[in-house]
Amino acid sequence: MTRRLQTEILVIGGGATGVGIAWDAALRGFDVILVEKRDLTHGTTGRYHGLLHSGGRYVVKDPQSARECIAENRILRRTHPHCIEDTGGFFVVTPEDEGEYPDRFVQACAETGVPCEEIALREAFRREPLLNRRISRVFEVPDGAADSFLATHVTAQAARQAGARILTYHEVTGLLLRGPEGAREVVGARVEDLAGGETLEIHATMTINATGAWAGQIARMAGLTVEVIPGKGVMVAMNHRLVNTVINRCKMPADGDILVPIHTVSVIGTTDVRVPDPEHYGIEPWEVALMLAEGDKLVPGLSRARAVRAWAGVRPLYQEGYTGASREATRQFTLLDHARRDGVQGLLTIIGGKWTTFRLMAEKTVDKACEYLGTRQPCQTATTQVPGAEQGHYWLGHRLHEVEEHELHGDLVCECELVTRAMLENAVYRNPTLTLDDLRRDLRLGMGPCQGGFCTYRAVGILHEMRERAGEAGGEVDRSDWEVAYMQSPAHNRSLPPPSSLPLALSSPNLLLRDFLQERWKGVRPILWGRQLKQEMLDSLIYLSLMNVDHLPDAGLTSPMTAFYEQDAGDVGETEAGV
Amino acid sequence: MREIPDLLVIGAGLSGLMAAYEAAEAGLRVKVIAKGLGSMHWSAGTVDVLGYAAGDKAVSMPLQELEGLQAVAPHHPYVVAGAEAVTEALSRFVALAKELGLPYEGAEEPGRNLWLPSPVGAARPVYLAPQGQRYGDLALAEPIVVVGFEGLRDFYPWVIAENLRKQGHRARGTVLPFALLSERRDANTVQLAQELDELKRVVTLARALKEVVEPGERVGLPALVGLDRHGRAMEVLQEELGTRVFEIPTLPPSVPGMRLYRALRSDLEGRGVEVEIGMEAVGYEAKEENGGFRRLLWVETATSARPLKHRARAFLLATGGLLGGGFDSNHEGRVWERVFDLPLAMPQNREDWFRPKFLDPAGHPVFQGGVSVDREFRPVSPEGKRLFANLWAAGNGLRDCDGIRERSREGIAIVTGIAAARSILVALRREKHVH
Ligand SMILES: Cc1cc2nc3c(=O)[nH]c(=O)nc-3n(C[C@H](O)[C@H](O)[C@H](O)COP(=O)(O)OP(=O)(O)OC[C@H]3O[C@@H](n4cnc5c(N)ncnc54)[C@H](O)[C@@H]3O)c2cc1C
Repeated sequence: MTRRLQTEILVIGGGATGVGIAWDAALRGFDVILVEKRDLTHGTTGRYHGLLHSGGRYVVKDPQSARECIAENRILRRTHPHCIEDTGGFFVVTPEDEGEYPDRFVQACAETGVPCEEIALREAFRREPLLNRRISRVFEVPDGAADSFLATHVTAQAARQAGARILTYHEVTGLLLRGPEGAREVVGARVEDLAGGETLEIHATMTINATGAWAGQIARMAGLTVEVIPGKGVMVAMNHRLVNTVINRCKMPADGDILVPIHTVSVIGTTDVRVPDPEHYGIEPWEVALMLAEGDKLVPGLSRARAVRAWAGVRPLYQEGYTGASREATRQFTLLDHARRDGVQGLLTIIGGKWTTFRLMAEKTVDKACEYLGTRQPCQTATTQVPGAEQGHYWLGHRLHEVEEHELHGDLVCECELVTRAMLENAVYRNPTLTLDDLRRDLRLGMGPCQGGFCTYRAVGILHEMRERAGEAGGEVDRSDWEVAYMQSPAHNRSLPPPSSLPLALSSPNLLLRDFLQERWKGVRPILWGRQLKQEMLDSLIYLSLMNVDHLPDAGLTSPMTAFYEQDAGDVGETEAGV
Repeated sequence: MREIPDLLVIGAGLSGLMAAYEAAEAGLRVKVIAKGLGSMHWSAGTVDVLGYAAGDKAVSMPLQELEGLQAVAPHHPYVVAGAEAVTEALSRFVALAKELGLPYEGAEEPGRNLWLPSPVGAARPVYLAPQGQRYGDLALAEPIVVVGFEGLRDFYPWVIAENLRKQGHRARGTVLPFALLSERRDANTVQLAQELDELKRVVTLARALKEVVEPGERVGLPALVGLDRHGRAMEVLQEELGTRVFEIPTLPPSVPGMRLYRALRSDLEGRGVEVEIGMEAVGYEAKEENGGFRRLLWVETATSARPLKHRARAFLLATGGLLGGGFDSNHEGRVWERVFDLPLAMPQNREDWFRPKFLDPAGHPVFQGGVSVDREFRPVSPEGKRLFANLWAAGNGLRDCDGIRERSREGIAIVTGIAAARSILVALRREKHVH
């Protein structure tokens, strides 16, 4: 049976861009539905580097991008402060980067309005003692570190509060088309509810394709060609805050030239390699080796620190008719108005850009939608704070501080990332949860040095216990109190009363276990050596010898994520010569 | 100056301690040095000998599986030791454990694996179980009530019960207040076990259990029923309840593993064996000897104050491979043995270390490599040539076994520890004879 829903605007894609559009459109009073095929931030948004750009990286190469970045940087610090750590950023000149670039950089910063100040080396080394002492010049810019999981979730909450419906684990499998060839119109989409097993038809006046690297696939459903340049980038998280400031190499953007401190780790990245499929790509040993070698140039000895995880994201780069190496493509975004470009009404595609500019991209997209929907509501997102903004900027010690202040040690489920039992329960109560990976993104569960060794079992036990207590009955979940703004606060999650109904979409505990263990394995396999390899063997001891999870019942069950975690990340993708 | 020991054991895991026991029993002067406590503190405290054979085949009679092992893994430590030595070493362990007051038992039918509930309710193949876990035996008919404690983060009774039911057993879960165990909410399993060394607490717990246990049920509790007075605590519970009570292992730290470790260690110390923890072996000195061998003179340890030299007539490496810390590895794909840089039978290319699936039934090659030894458990070169005149190796750092995958970690430790010690005895006696 097919259920039918009606809306004014249908947004496809639950990354930063799509969620930003839903928020913007709902604030302007539109009726909005957003569909995302997995959890929010399943795509590039959840696999990025974590940098709130000042624009410094682009001042020479792409001044328009730089201008957009600095403007949006200032806005997001106001609208999403709790998703941002105000780390500041350095552009450093290593012995390999000399030449005229640094002077051009200073000049271009001035031209694009990116604040940039050269600081004394002594001062730079005082603030970042591990920096390479052979660095000859340091420029300070207002970079920051941003948590895209949290930012996307709170933006989604803001959108919901403004009336939008956000449907996760809902995958678009076709577009609803009307009219003959030449006068074609997109009037919505066919959607599979992967958790509920239902097919939906969502009818919409305007459909917005915000699927990033997948945008070509959606466009094809309307018979259109949209050429996305998929550029895979690899990042490696090191087990410490090796630096507390974002460190950029002061040179033309290249591989492995940024080190971002975020939460408890520092992330070195990235590469840029073409891949055929945004869902299916691997991480090669040479890519990890390259990141470590480049990292050593910023912080000597970085390669000997403990790497805890590696991941990759795919850049959704678009240039009409462009086929060159992907690093050379523009970082600016493109809004495709298919009525004008292809003569197909009712469909917009927004593509490219950066996390930092998602709000601007959403604004431009909804402006365009307004033209077709015949209204002229002004955009409000630049001046509207999302829920939880009153917490101010994120700071590294906040969880530890709260755990100590309220003596919550006994409630810790994840000691590495300081996740309490109540945080876990509330995240499940107040937020759609299908896999433990969803909780990882919500809470940073399993993201620390032991990579889920202890908390995976505990989380499964607690989730199962919640289901047991609620009885097998379950029922429709009332998500009217969907609440994520304080999801990461141990103190806040002490006092929340449990909501009236329980989300019982939770699957078999055995499936939760297997899925998450495989998800973790995928992330650690590329960086297993030294102490992390020893750690992994301990985790194997726990889950095989002690628990025997590979011989649990329900062996045949799969979730919508199982295949994704299990895909053999063999050697997919080819090296771009000269990149 | 103190006398030079006959045997220096490097590593205080199960294999090192078993070797030390065997050698000390036979009258050798033995010393044990180790960096840390070994992996007993992370395990279930059971003796797993062989649970799954090639192709993930569940094994019911481990000792009958050894012949098959020879065909697929000719260098497997059980094959090197030989079936007789395997059987004998396990009996030796049973006798010792009994002597230590920490009895271990096998299935009713000799030679058969027990299947015991794991912390998620899977059935674990176990050859010898500490008495406290014995009645978890899933071949027994009585229904099980798994009792947890509200808010105890390392044990979840309902998951265990649900999975046991799914496998056809009668089981249910329930919880009691945490305060029965401790006033300290942040206590770990070891601290909680220590609370139950107090008789008063055990009696109170028994009373609370009476309220929730139905007639005819046996009771599964998290493995924290006492640390030093575990035997007494179990007796009191069974007596008060009039039914069988058993432990189910928890997340580490493992109380049953720790009980075994402490019992073994104090037995050794009673025999005059020095056990020094916090001593990381970092190097050695050897001299060339006739016949192309090198003879070890001493092993060096790093301590905060100064390096120390440990001399001995014979040396046993029982540092446990990647997990125990006996091997290290780097991102270039090199894996090396840390004290003697012994050659390892191991893929030296990171791309070949792992399989794409974490739970792949074939396991991961890097966890299966290790030190090659000859029939006497002396390390050899890839060509099969002995490397040192007075060095032996034992435990899970040996090649061609995958203790975690096979569920054979403790079996390998016990069998090779004892076998190596016996080979050392023979060699030292022969030497005495010659000199
Ligand atoms: C390696 C790397 C590092 C980066 N680092 C930074 C950085 O430090 N700072 C910065 O500002 N930017 C960074 N970026 C850029 C930034 O991450 C992206 O521009 C941004 O996240 C794109 O968001 P998006 O919403 O457009 O796309 P996505 O996040 O990819 O969202 C698209 C969504 O569409 C969903 N989808 C696809 N098909 C369907 C379907 N059929 N039905 C329903 N849903 C579907 C996907 O699941 C996905 O969630 C980085 C990018 C990469 C690749």
